[in-house]
Amino acid sequence: MMRKITIKNRDNITYEVDHRKPLLDSLKAKGVDLPYGCKYGGCITCAAKLINGRVNQTAQVALNNRQLNNGYVILCVARPVTDCTFEIGVESHDMLYRNPFIDPLEDHELKADIATPLENRK
Amino acid sequence: MDSVCCGPGYASPADAMMAPSEKLLYTIAIYTGTGIQKPDYLCTIDADPESSSYSSVISRLEMPGIGDELHHMGWNACSSCHGDVNKERKYLIVPGVRSSNLHIIDCGTDPRKPSLFKVIEGSEIKAKTNLSAPHTIHCLGSDIIISMLGDAVGNAPGGYLHISESFEIVGRWENSMGDIKFSYDFWYQPRHNIMVSSEWAAPNTFMPGFDLEEVGHLKYGRELHFWDLEKKAPIQSMYLGEDGLVPLEVRFHHNPDSTHGFVGAALSANIIHWWKDLAGEWQWEKIIDVENEPHPEWPIPVPGVISVILLSMDDKYLYFCNWLHGDIRQYDISDPHNARLTGQVWMGGLLNKAPEVNGVKVTGGPQMIQLSLDGKRLFVTTSLFSTWDNQFYPEIRTNGGCMLMVNCDTENGGMEIDPNFIVDFGKEPNGPSRCHETRYPGGDCTSDIWL
Repeated sequence: MMRKITIKNRDNITYEVDHRKPLLDSLKAKGVDLPYGCKYGGCITCAAKLINGRVNQTAQVALNNRQLNNGYVILCVARPVTDCTFEIGVESHDMLYRNPFIDPLEDHELKADIATPLENRK
Repeated sequence: MDSVCCGPGYASPADAMMAPSEKLLYTIAIYTGTGIQKPDYLCTIDADPESSSYSSVISRLEMPGIGDELHHMGWNACSSCHGDVNKERKYLIVPGVRSSNLHIIDCGTDPRKPSLFKVIEGSEIKAKTNLSAPHTIHCLGSDIIISMLGDAVGNAPGGYLHISESFEIVGRWENSMGDIKFSYDFWYQPRHNIMVSSEWAAPNTFMPGFDLEEVGHLKYGRELHFWDLEKKAPIQSMYLGEDGLVPLEVRFHHNPDSTHGFVGAALSANIIHWWKDLAGEWQWEKIIDVENEPHPEWPIPVPGVISVILLSMDDKYLYFCNWLHGDIRQYDISDPHNARLTGQVWMGGLLNKAPEVNGVKVTGGPQMIQLSLDGKRLFVTTSLFSTWDNQFYPEIRTNGGCMLMVNCDTENGGMEIDPNFIVDFGKEPNGPSRCHETRYPGGDCTSDIWL
């Protein structure tokens, strides 16, 4: 199945990509210039912001729950479930990084393996 | 004196201190994480005060790929090969911590303009050794050993990559990782058959950025490990607890007979000292404790974050940086049990003590430092790690990093920032980059170990 991927911060250019392949591979093959590092979902270099649509990125281990809630997607392992619109590159990273001394995470905002689910909070 | 015989380096630390002053510096500069889609590169900086290009970048060697995140680097040979006339300190091994590529760079053919000699691909390292995220490099005679912080998919504890002097992958160096949870830096003292290693975190934990909250969930290290160097296996671990959160840079005394060494616990902002006691047992103690500083607008006090330490070649002074506070400190450790503060300078940092130095806005804080062999010139850069920079010093994306030089008084103690030296990486030709570790062609205070 093909999915339509729109890049909002590249003049809304669109690409048709295979839903079985990681978005980084598909977009690189189309000539999109994207930062990336580890290619296994661990280093956050390729993070992009999902504006619309859904992806499957269960293999990622880089994002905490706050980053996930803010729409971040690890392109090297994420596959598009529906048509999607993204902002890509470092320009999309405005909400990706925080100073933990100014802005601590709550327990439910940690990474999935150590987060306390919201419903378990006292 | 056998200085006519000989292979690379120096017969002793005392000989090293009498070497000529460094005229060139090799410094890593990165674009990873900046939004500029260019390779990271190795800068050659003119450090000869008599030269017309003093205090500027005179050549740049781009890596073949984008996004390596060059970080630390090391020589193919050091004073451990001093007795071998067939060896030469010629190649810098410059790893990409994100890509796991090892760049072998020829600095000998034209020291002013290094060239790429070979790349060992990260994919080959992962396939042959199940290791990734290269960090510290030491040569041990003809062997080159690199601490690797993760397995092929970024999980701890990683291990040690062994490469030959002709830059072929030999395999894993260690025979066992024992119960070690994390890897980071290491140093060894062959006359005592001992190696000491420290702990950062799994690449999958530290690469995306620093979630302070993960420290309490034991995702970051707090132990120090002692190894049987010949058996290549850990023999004892020391639990440093709250005093030793995130122990990073490990330094033995340069004196090869000494058992004293030090590690900087980054998040606790403590210096931990270890030694072997008269009964032959390894001991440790905290000798320096940097207090967290309150910030007027923030709910959590700011720790110093000691990201680097080093010892002068005569083992008299210990230097370290508080990357978040913004100060570099010099301690007299003539008595290693009783460190005495003898110098301090400020540049950048989050406490706003010295936002501008030598006419340049300092973005970031003092981070990697490198000391001349005679102990008098300390070169300092401001970037730590791209994702961590982006959290604590987001303006570094547009301002870039910078390099300063600190003049150190080796007689009475004391430090002063040199007013005539500044390299502003905000003005690089391809846009603002960030500078990290520095090495000197003739060796420096973190490159050489004596057998």
